[in-house]
Amino acid sequence: MLLGTVVGQVWSTQKDATLVGIRMLIVQPFVNSENGEQKSAETLVVADPIGAGIGERVIVVFGRAARHVIGQGHDIAIQTAIAAIVDGMEFEGGRSFGPSADTDPSH
Amino acid sequence: MFLGKVIGEIWATQKVKDLEGKRLLVIEALDDRRDPSAPKITPVIAADPIGAGVGERVIVAFGKAARVALGGDGDYAYEAAVVGIVDDANIPDAPASWGFGDSDSQGGA
Repeated sequence: MLLGTVVGQVWSTQKDATLVGIRMLIVQPFVNSENGEQKSAETLVVADPIGAGIGERVIVVFGRAARHVIGQGHDIAIQTAIAAIVDGMEFEGGRSFGPSADTDPSH
Repeated sequence: MFLGKVIGEIWATQKVKDLEGKRLLVIEALDDRRDPSAPKITPVIAADPIGAGVGERVIVAFGKAARVALGGDGDYAYEAAVVGIVDDANIPDAPASWGFGDSDSQGGA
């Protein structure tokens, strides 16, 4: 599982039949730094069964867990999915984070 | 499996049912970078059935091993779990930031 911020949404018409009706988002993984969040350079395409919006922090699950949360059986062309929308996080040194970068308490 | 340090804890209300009641920790793998200002790596989120605290060193497992540690294999929305809290380790060349023992005394023991 990993933590990331939703940075966009993707649409595709020509796709595997098992992907029809599945909302796809782009998530940028979270990287911790002394000053707060530092975003990973890479991004992921993730299926979203929950309805997360751009800017929200989410928990992404992989493989069997991802196919399970989509709820359409295991024969689907999905590898990553959102399993939770983050309310807040408490880090070492008493640093805290909100549900999105704009709601983080100042450090 | 890998050795990591718990750097934070996450709260989430909107989540899939399987994650209800699961403690979710943010864990950074211990790596060989010795410069504190070096870019950090992407942390892993793991469910924690053991009760590790922020700052502790833990062993994290993935996949079936993680599901078993959380109560049994099957269809669940998690694939990473804390399976152990490290008391100490003897890794002679480990960076001091890993926080294991006193490298001098352990090395000579």
